[in-house]
Amino acid sequence: MKNLEELKKIRERVRKDLELRTGKHRIKIVVCLGTCGIAAGARETMNTLIDLIAKNDTSDTIVTTTGCAGFCEQEPMIQLYMEDKEPVVYGKVDAKAAEEIFEKHVLKGKIVEKYLFSKGK
Amino acid sequence: MRDIADHLFDILENSVKAGATEIRIISRIKDKQFFCKIKDNGSGIMDEDVTDPFVTSRKTRKVGLGLPLLKRAAESTGGFLKIYNTEKGGVILEFKIDITHIDAKPFGNITRTFVDAIYSWPKVSFYISIQKKNNRTLSIFNSKKIREIISYSEMQQKEVRDFIYDSIDHELKKIGIDSQFGMF
Repeated sequence: MKNLEELKKIRERVRKDLELRTGKHRIKIVVCLGTCGIAAGARETMNTLIDLIAKNDTSDTIVTTTGCAGFCEQEPMIQLYMEDKEPVVYGKVDAKAAEEIFEKHVLKGKIVEKYLFSKGK
Repeated sequence: MRDIADHLFDILENSVKAGATEIRIISRIKDKQFFCKIKDNGSGIMDEDVTDPFVTSRKTRKVGLGLPLLKRAAESTGGFLKIYNTEKGGVILEFKIDITHIDAKPFGNITRTFVDAIYSWPKVSFYISIQKKNNRTLSIFNSKKIREIISYSEMQQKEVRDFIYDSIDHELKKIGIDSQFGMF
């Protein structure tokens, strides 16, 4: 394993950074990573979202994963949970779609109808 | 599944779904054969043939394709896939792929698979090792050691993720994981 001392240095930097932010997560994005999702390229979708969060410094947004949701033909699927709003499910979210959804929905709060699969619980 | 990295992620997800809290992965490349062994402490498998697509523990659908797909990907290159319960519970899964075979899938990004797994299932401890040409085993990632240093929310940060990525990638390249075609 690479130098753990180096990791400790990174930790100090990251810790200071985290202290400056408010800790609460406002938006949760769940990526479906079952066999079907993986085969459809959901890991790319997930990594695109993680990179976008870092790039835009939207630390109130987190990305987590779940298994197969039962709509395999719609993969890659993501679920978007926003505080005080109904959850939204998007289907066929490739890297490009993920960018669009991030820009419009996560940053501006507008639902992207093009990829919309379902709304509410 | 586009590449071996996708397959690998898929079977790691199987372990997590089976309730594993510890997953040990050893991989090596020897004589053009990519060998990977995954040992978990999950619930194990039933006696049924889990590489049959119509055998699955899932309730949303009656078919499970992950293992049959990997089995086929391995066997079509003359390799194999074996899965069996360990004495203590949990499963050992081994597969071997001839990476220069005409039917072999590209590796894809194996490092990315590991980082994605570590990120996706932070409660699971991963122990990743490689076996070098002289058969010595070298640990390249250990969740416990990392967690002693950083918390979960720190691990989510890009800088830390990049560090983990680089350290795993650096070691995997030593066994030639980036040189599937054209090297031999």
